[in-house]
Amino acid sequence: MTDASVPLPGTPREVLSGLGELTRRVRAVQRDSWIPLLLFGLVTLGGVLVGRLTFHQETVPCPGGPAAPGDTCTLMRQGSAAYWTAGLLAAYAATAWWYLHRSRRRGVGTPVRPYVLAGAAAVAALAVTTWWGASQPAPGADLDLWGLHLAADARATLLVQQFLGGAAAIGVPLLVLARIDRSRALALFALGYLLIELTPVTFGWWGAAAGPWSALSRHGVPALYLLTGALLFALANRRARPRAAA
Amino acid sequence: MTPAEAAEGADAGQHPAKALDDTVHQRIRLGILTVAHQARRAEFGFLRTTLDLTAGNLGQHLTVLEKAGLVAVEKGYEGRRPRTWITLTPAGERALREEVAQLKRLIHQIETADGA
Repeated sequence: MTDASVPLPGTPREVLSGLGELTRRVRAVQRDSWIPLLLFGLVTLGGVLVGRLTFHQETVPCPGGPAAPGDTCTLMRQGSAAYWTAGLLAAYAATAWWYLHRSRRRGVGTPVRPYVLAGAAAVAALAVTTWWGASQPAPGADLDLWGLHLAADARATLLVQQFLGGAAAIGVPLLVLARIDRSRALALFALGYLLIELTPVTFGWWGAAAGPWSALSRHGVPALYLLTGALLFALANRRARPRAAA
Repeated sequence: MTPAEAAEGADAGQHPAKALDDTVHQRIRLGILTVAHQARRAEFGFLRTTLDLTAGNLGQHLTVLEKAGLVAVEKGYEGRRPRTWITLTPAGERALREEVAQLKRLIHQIETADGA
Protein backbone atom coordinates (compact mmCIF):
# COMPACT_ATOMS: atom_id res chain seq x y z
CA MET A 1 0.00 0.00 0.00
CA THR A 2 1.14 3.50 -0.68
CA ASP A 3 0.15 6.95 0.39
CA ALA A 4 -1.92 7.19 -2.81
CA SER A 5 -4.64 5.02 -1.22
CA VAL A 6 -5.71 7.88 1.07
CA PRO A 7 -8.38 9.91 -0.70
CA LEU A 8 -6.65 13.26 -0.17
CA PRO A 9 -5.19 14.40 -3.48
CA GLY A 10 -3.40 17.64 -4.32
CA THR A 11 -5.24 20.97 -4.38
CA PRO A 12 -6.61 22.51 -1.16
CA ARG A 13 -10.14 22.02 -2.48
CA GLU A 14 -9.46 18.34 -3.20
CA VAL A 15 -7.88 17.89 0.23
CA LEU A 16 -10.91 19.41 1.94
CA SER A 17 -13.24 17.31 -0.19
CA GLY A 18 -11.21 14.20 0.75
CA LEU A 19 -11.57 15.07 4.44
CA GLY A 20 -15.32 15.42 3.94
CA GLU A 21 -15.47 11.99 2.31
CA LEU A 22 -13.49 10.44 5.19
CA THR A 23 -15.87 12.06 7.69
CA ARG A 24 -18.88 10.64 5.79
CA ARG A 25 -17.33 7.17 5.84
CA VAL A 26 -16.80 7.25 9.61
CA ARG A 27 -20.30 8.59 10.23
CA ALA A 28 -21.81 5.81 8.13
CA VAL A 29 -20.06 3.26 10.34
CA GLN A 30 -21.02 5.06 13.57
CA ARG A 31 -24.74 5.44 12.92
CA ASP A 32 -27.32 2.83 13.78
CA SER A 33 -30.33 5.04 14.40
CA TRP A 34 -32.73 2.38 13.15
CA ILE A 35 -32.15 0.26 16.29
CA PRO A 36 -33.70 2.72 18.82
CA LEU A 37 -36.44 3.61 16.32
CA LEU A 38 -37.35 -0.05 15.88
CA LEU A 39 -37.35 -0.69 19.65
CA PHE A 40 -39.42 2.43 20.43
CA GLY A 41 -41.79 1.54 17.60
CA LEU A 42 -42.32 -1.96 18.99
CA VAL A 43 -42.83 -0.69 22.55
CA THR A 44 -45.35 1.91 21.29
CA LEU A 45 -47.16 -0.71 19.21
CA GLY A 46 -47.24 -2.98 22.27
CA GLY A 47 -48.94 -0.10 24.09
CA VAL A 48 -51.99 -0.60 21.84
CA LEU A 49 -52.30 -4.21 22.94
CA VAL A 50 -51.66 -3.33 26.58
CA GLY A 51 -54.35 -0.64 26.32
CA ARG A 52 -56.80 -3.21 24.98
CA LEU A 53 -55.95 -5.78 27.67
CA THR A 54 -56.09 -3.30 30.56
CA PHE A 55 -59.30 -1.59 29.46
CA HIS A 56 -61.91 -1.55 32.20
CA GLN A 57 -64.91 0.49 33.31
CA GLU A 58 -65.70 1.80 36.77
CA THR A 59 -68.78 3.45 38.19
CA VAL A 60 -67.80 6.62 40.05
CA PRO A 61 -69.57 9.71 41.46
CA CYS A 62 -70.04 12.32 38.74
CA PRO A 63 -67.61 15.28 38.90
CA GLY A 64 -68.52 18.94 39.23
CA GLY A 65 -71.20 20.28 41.54
CA PRO A 66 -73.48 18.48 43.91
CA ALA A 67 -74.96 15.45 42.21
CA ALA A 68 -78.38 14.03 42.87
CA PRO A 69 -78.40 10.97 45.13
CA GLY A 70 -77.59 7.88 43.13
CA ASP A 71 -76.22 9.94 40.23
CA THR A 72 -73.16 8.09 38.93
CA CYS A 73 -70.89 8.20 35.90
CA THR A 74 -68.92 5.52 34.05
CA LEU A 75 -65.15 5.96 34.04
CA MET A 76 -63.13 4.09 31.41
CA ARG A 77 -59.48 3.40 32.13
CA GLN A 78 -56.74 1.71 30.16
CA GLY A 79 -52.96 1.55 29.99
CA SER A 80 -50.27 0.37 32.36
CA ALA A 81 -47.66 2.59 33.98
CA ALA A 82 -45.53 -0.50 34.64
CA TYR A 83 -45.56 -1.46 30.95
CA TRP A 84 -44.34 1.92 29.73
CA THR A 85 -41.69 2.26 32.44
CA ALA A 86 -40.32 -1.25 31.92
CA GLY A 87 -40.73 -1.21 28.13
CA LEU A 88 -38.91 2.09 27.61
CA LEU A 89 -36.18 1.19 30.11
CA ALA A 90 -35.62 -2.08 28.25
CA ALA A 91 -35.48 -0.19 24.92
CA TYR A 92 -32.87 2.24 26.32
CA ALA A 93 -30.80 -0.55 27.86
CA ALA A 94 -30.89 -2.55 24.61
CA THR A 95 -29.90 0.51 22.54
CA ALA A 96 -27.00 1.35 24.87
CA TRP A 97 -25.82 -2.27 24.80
CA TRP A 98 -26.04 -2.35 21.01
CA TYR A 99 -24.10 0.89 20.57
CA LEU A 100 -21.35 -0.21 22.98
CA HIS A 101 -21.13 -3.70 21.46
CA ARG A 102 -21.00 -2.26 17.95
CA SER A 103 -18.43 0.33 19.00
CA ARG A 104 -16.10 -2.42 20.22
CA ARG A 105 -16.74 -4.66 17.21
CA ARG A 106 -16.20 -1.95 14.57
CA GLY A 107 -13.41 -0.14 16.42
CA VAL A 108 -15.02 3.27 16.34
CA GLY A 109 -16.15 5.26 19.36
CA THR A 110 -19.68 6.52 20.05
CA PRO A 111 -20.33 8.51 23.22
CA VAL A 112 -23.61 6.89 24.19
CA ARG A 113 -23.64 8.14 27.79
CA PRO A 114 -25.57 11.40 27.12
CA TYR A 115 -28.27 9.40 25.35
CA VAL A 116 -28.57 6.93 28.23
CA LEU A 117 -28.71 9.76 30.78
CA ALA A 118 -31.36 11.63 28.76
CA GLY A 119 -33.33 8.40 28.40
CA ALA A 120 -33.11 7.57 32.11
CA ALA A 121 -34.27 11.10 33.06
CA ALA A 122 -37.11 10.97 30.52
CA VAL A 123 -38.30 7.55 31.67
CA ALA A 124 -38.13 8.67 35.31
CA ALA A 125 -40.31 11.71 34.44
CA LEU A 126 -42.69 9.48 32.49
CA ALA A 127 -42.90 6.95 35.33
CA VAL A 128 -43.62 9.59 37.96
CA THR A 129 -46.26 11.26 35.77
CA THR A 130 -47.93 8.00 34.73
CA TRP A 131 -48.04 6.56 38.25
CA TRP A 132 -49.28 9.90 39.53
CA GLY A 133 -51.91 10.09 36.75
CA ALA A 134 -53.16 6.62 37.62
CA SER A 135 -53.61 7.68 41.24
CA GLN A 136 -55.94 10.60 40.38
CA PRO A 137 -59.30 9.10 41.28
CA ALA A 138 -61.84 11.78 40.48
CA PRO A 139 -62.53 12.12 36.76
CA GLY A 140 -62.97 15.70 35.60
CA ALA A 141 -61.62 17.13 38.85
CA ASP A 142 -58.68 19.52 38.86
CA LEU A 143 -55.33 17.76 38.92
CA ASP A 144 -52.85 18.37 41.69
CA LEU A 145 -49.33 18.14 40.24
CA TRP A 146 -47.10 18.66 43.29
CA GLY A 147 -49.09 21.67 44.44
CA LEU A 148 -49.73 22.97 40.91
CA HIS A 149 -53.49 22.89 40.26
CA LEU A 150 -54.31 22.12 36.64
CA ALA A 151 -57.80 22.15 35.18
CA ALA A 152 -58.47 18.60 33.94
CA ASP A 153 -59.97 19.65 30.62
CA ALA A 154 -57.59 22.53 29.87
CA ARG A 155 -55.42 22.20 26.76
CA ALA A 156 -52.37 23.25 28.76
CA THR A 157 -52.94 20.26 31.07
CA LEU A 158 -53.19 17.90 28.10
CA LEU A 159 -50.03 19.41 26.64
CA VAL A 160 -48.13 18.90 29.90
CA GLN A 161 -49.41 15.33 30.17
CA GLN A 162 -48.47 14.55 26.60
CA PHE A 163 -45.08 16.17 26.82
CA LEU A 164 -44.31 14.19 29.95
CA GLY A 165 -45.53 11.10 28.08
CA GLY A 166 -44.14 9.79 24.81
CA ALA A 167 -42.91 13.18 23.61
CA ALA A 168 -40.37 13.55 26.40
CA ALA A 169 -39.64 9.86 26.91
CA ILE A 170 -38.87 9.14 23.25
CA GLY A 171 -38.67 12.43 21.34
CA VAL A 172 -36.17 14.29 23.51
CA PRO A 173 -33.65 11.41 23.81
CA LEU A 174 -33.93 10.94 20.03
CA LEU A 175 -32.83 14.56 19.67
CA VAL A 176 -29.87 13.79 21.96
CA LEU A 177 -29.04 10.77 19.82
CA ALA A 178 -29.23 12.94 16.70
CA ARG A 179 -26.67 15.27 18.31
CA ILE A 180 -24.40 12.34 19.19
CA ASP A 181 -24.73 10.84 15.69
CA ARG A 182 -24.36 14.34 14.17
CA SER A 183 -27.37 13.39 12.05
CA ARG A 184 -29.58 16.15 10.70
CA ALA A 185 -31.97 13.54 9.28
CA LEU A 186 -32.52 12.00 12.73
CA ALA A 187 -32.97 15.45 14.29
CA LEU A 188 -35.69 16.27 11.75
CA PHE A 189 -37.27 12.86 12.32
CA ALA A 190 -37.29 13.45 16.11
CA LEU A 191 -38.92 16.87 15.59
CA GLY A 192 -41.54 15.18 13.40
CA TYR A 193 -42.18 12.69 16.19
CA LEU A 194 -42.58 15.50 18.74
CA LEU A 195 -45.05 17.18 16.37
CA ILE A 196 -47.09 13.97 16.08
CA GLU A 197 -47.10 13.52 19.85
CA LEU A 198 -48.04 17.11 20.64
CA THR A 199 -50.31 18.06 17.72
CA PRO A 200 -53.29 15.92 18.79
CA VAL A 201 -53.97 18.52 21.49
CA THR A 202 -54.93 20.92 18.72
CA PHE A 203 -56.91 18.48 16.63
CA GLY A 204 -58.50 16.69 19.51
CA TRP A 205 -58.11 13.09 18.32
CA TRP A 206 -56.20 12.24 21.42
CA GLY A 207 -58.05 12.05 24.69
CA ALA A 208 -59.24 9.85 27.49
CA ALA A 209 -60.09 6.20 26.94
CA ALA A 210 -63.35 5.95 25.01
CA GLY A 211 -63.36 2.25 24.15
CA PRO A 212 -61.29 -0.94 24.28
CA TRP A 213 -59.32 0.02 21.15
CA SER A 214 -58.97 3.75 21.75
CA ALA A 215 -55.24 3.21 22.41
CA LEU A 216 -54.97 2.42 18.70
CA SER A 217 -55.66 6.03 17.75
CA ARG A 218 -53.37 7.25 20.55
CA HIS A 219 -50.36 5.01 19.85
CA GLY A 220 -50.99 3.70 16.32
CA VAL A 221 -49.75 6.78 14.45
CA PRO A 222 -46.54 7.29 16.53
CA ALA A 223 -45.78 3.54 16.33
CA LEU A 224 -46.23 3.52 12.55
CA TYR A 225 -44.08 6.65 12.26
CA LEU A 226 -41.28 5.10 14.36
CA LEU A 227 -41.36 1.75 12.55
CA THR A 228 -41.38 3.42 9.13
CA GLY A 229 -38.47 5.57 10.29
CA ALA A 230 -36.59 2.45 11.46
CA LEU A 231 -37.04 0.89 8.01
CA LEU A 232 -35.96 4.02 6.14
CA PHE A 233 -32.92 4.65 8.37
CA ALA A 234 -31.90 0.97 8.07
CA LEU A 235 -32.11 1.18 4.28
CA ALA A 236 -30.15 4.45 4.24
CA ASN A 237 -27.49 2.91 6.51
CA ARG A 238 -27.25 -0.14 4.31
CA ARG A 239 -26.84 2.02 1.23
CA ALA A 240 -24.17 4.20 2.89
CA ARG A 241 -22.08 1.31 4.29
CA PRO A 242 -20.82 -0.37 1.09
CA ARG A 243 -19.92 3.08 -0.21
CA ALA A 244 -18.11 3.72 3.06
CA ALA A 245 -16.22 0.44 2.78
CA ALA A 246 -15.38 1.02 -0.89
CA MET B 1 6.62 24.13 11.30
CA THR B 2 4.96 23.38 14.65
CA PRO B 3 1.22 23.96 15.19
CA ALA B 4 2.02 26.98 17.39
CA GLU B 5 4.27 28.50 14.72
CA ALA B 6 1.63 27.83 12.08
CA ALA B 7 -1.02 29.65 14.11
CA GLU B 8 1.39 32.50 14.72
CA GLY B 9 2.13 32.73 11.00
CA ALA B 10 -1.55 32.85 10.18
CA ASP B 11 -2.04 35.68 12.65
CA ALA B 12 0.91 37.57 11.19
CA GLY B 13 -0.89 37.66 7.83
CA GLN B 14 1.63 35.61 5.85
CA HIS B 15 0.60 33.42 2.90
CA PRO B 16 -1.65 30.58 4.15
CA ALA B 17 0.54 27.96 2.46
CA LYS B 18 3.45 28.96 4.74
CA ALA B 19 1.25 28.65 7.79
CA LEU B 20 0.44 24.98 7.10
CA ASP B 21 1.90 22.63 9.69
CA ASP B 22 4.06 19.96 7.99
CA THR B 23 3.31 17.36 10.64
CA VAL B 24 -0.43 17.77 10.14
CA HIS B 25 -0.54 18.57 6.43
CA GLN B 26 0.96 15.25 5.32
CA ARG B 27 -2.10 13.60 3.81
CA ILE B 28 -2.09 10.29 5.69
CA ARG B 29 -1.60 12.07 9.01
CA LEU B 30 -4.33 14.51 8.08
CA GLY B 31 -6.54 11.50 7.33
CA ILE B 32 -5.70 9.93 10.70
CA LEU B 33 -6.54 13.14 12.53
CA THR B 34 -9.82 13.51 10.63
CA VAL B 35 -10.95 9.95 11.32
CA ALA B 36 -9.91 10.18 14.98
CA HIS B 37 -11.77 13.48 15.32
CA GLN B 38 -15.01 12.10 13.90
CA ALA B 39 -14.73 8.73 15.64
CA ARG B 40 -13.71 10.33 18.98
CA ARG B 41 -11.86 7.06 19.64
CA ALA B 42 -10.64 4.92 16.77
CA GLU B 43 -9.20 1.43 16.90
CA PHE B 44 -5.95 0.75 15.01
CA GLY B 45 -7.64 -1.79 12.70
CA PHE B 46 -10.48 0.60 11.90
CA LEU B 47 -8.01 3.34 10.96
CA ARG B 48 -6.01 0.89 8.85
CA THR B 49 -9.12 -0.27 6.94
CA THR B 50 -10.65 3.18 6.53
CA LEU B 51 -7.41 4.73 5.27
CA ASP B 52 -6.44 1.58 3.37
CA LEU B 53 -2.93 1.39 4.83
CA THR B 54 -0.56 -1.32 5.94
CA ALA B 55 -0.04 -1.77 9.67
CA GLY B 56 3.61 -0.67 9.35
CA ASN B 57 2.78 2.50 7.44
CA LEU B 58 0.01 3.46 9.83
CA GLY B 59 2.26 2.71 12.83
CA GLN B 60 4.97 5.05 11.53
CA HIS B 61 2.56 7.94 11.05
CA LEU B 62 1.01 7.34 14.46
CA THR B 63 4.45 7.52 16.05
CA VAL B 64 5.05 10.93 14.41
CA LEU B 65 1.66 12.21 15.59
CA GLU B 66 2.16 10.81 19.09
CA LYS B 67 5.60 12.41 19.40
CA ALA B 68 4.10 15.74 18.31
CA GLY B 69 1.53 15.35 21.07
CA LEU B 70 -1.39 15.34 18.60
CA VAL B 71 -2.77 11.87 19.39
CA ALA B 72 -2.83 9.61 22.42
CA VAL B 73 -2.30 5.90 21.88
CA GLU B 74 -3.82 3.52 24.38
CA LYS B 75 -3.00 -0.18 24.27
CA GLY B 76 -5.09 -2.83 25.97
CA TYR B 77 -6.92 -6.10 25.58
CA GLU B 78 -10.45 -6.98 24.71
CA GLY B 79 -10.80 -10.53 25.90
CA ARG B 80 -7.59 -12.07 24.60
CA ARG B 81 -7.29 -9.78 21.58
CA PRO B 82 -4.79 -6.95 21.84
CA ARG B 83 -6.36 -3.63 20.83
CA THR B 84 -4.86 -0.20 20.23
CA TRP B 85 -7.11 2.84 20.52
CA ILE B 86 -6.22 6.27 19.19
CA THR B 87 -7.74 9.52 20.44
CA LEU B 88 -7.01 13.12 19.51
CA THR B 89 -5.39 15.24 22.19
CA PRO B 90 -6.63 18.84 22.67
CA ALA B 91 -3.50 19.93 20.72
CA GLY B 92 -4.50 17.53 17.93
CA GLU B 93 -8.02 18.99 17.83
CA ARG B 94 -6.56 22.50 17.61
CA ALA B 95 -4.05 21.49 14.93
CA LEU B 96 -6.75 19.89 12.78
CA ARG B 97 -9.02 22.91 13.15
CA GLU B 98 -6.15 25.21 12.20
CA GLU B 99 -5.20 23.06 9.18
CA VAL B 100 -8.77 23.14 7.85
CA ALA B 101 -8.93 26.91 8.42
CA GLN B 102 -5.64 27.39 6.52
CA LEU B 103 -6.90 25.25 3.63
CA LYS B 104 -10.05 27.35 3.44
CA ARG B 105 -7.95 30.53 3.48
CA LEU B 106 -5.83 29.11 0.64
CA ILE B 107 -8.93 28.33 -1.43
CA HIS B 108 -10.25 31.81 -0.77
CA GLN B 109 -6.91 33.34 -1.78
CA ILE B 110 -6.76 31.28 -5.00
CA GLU B 111 -10.34 32.22 -5.88
CA THR B 112 -9.67 35.89 -5.16
CA ALA B 113 -6.53 35.81 -7.33
CA ASP B 114 -8.45 34.06 -10.16
CA GLY B 115 -11.20 36.65 -10.00
CA ALA B 116 -8.79 39.61 -10.12
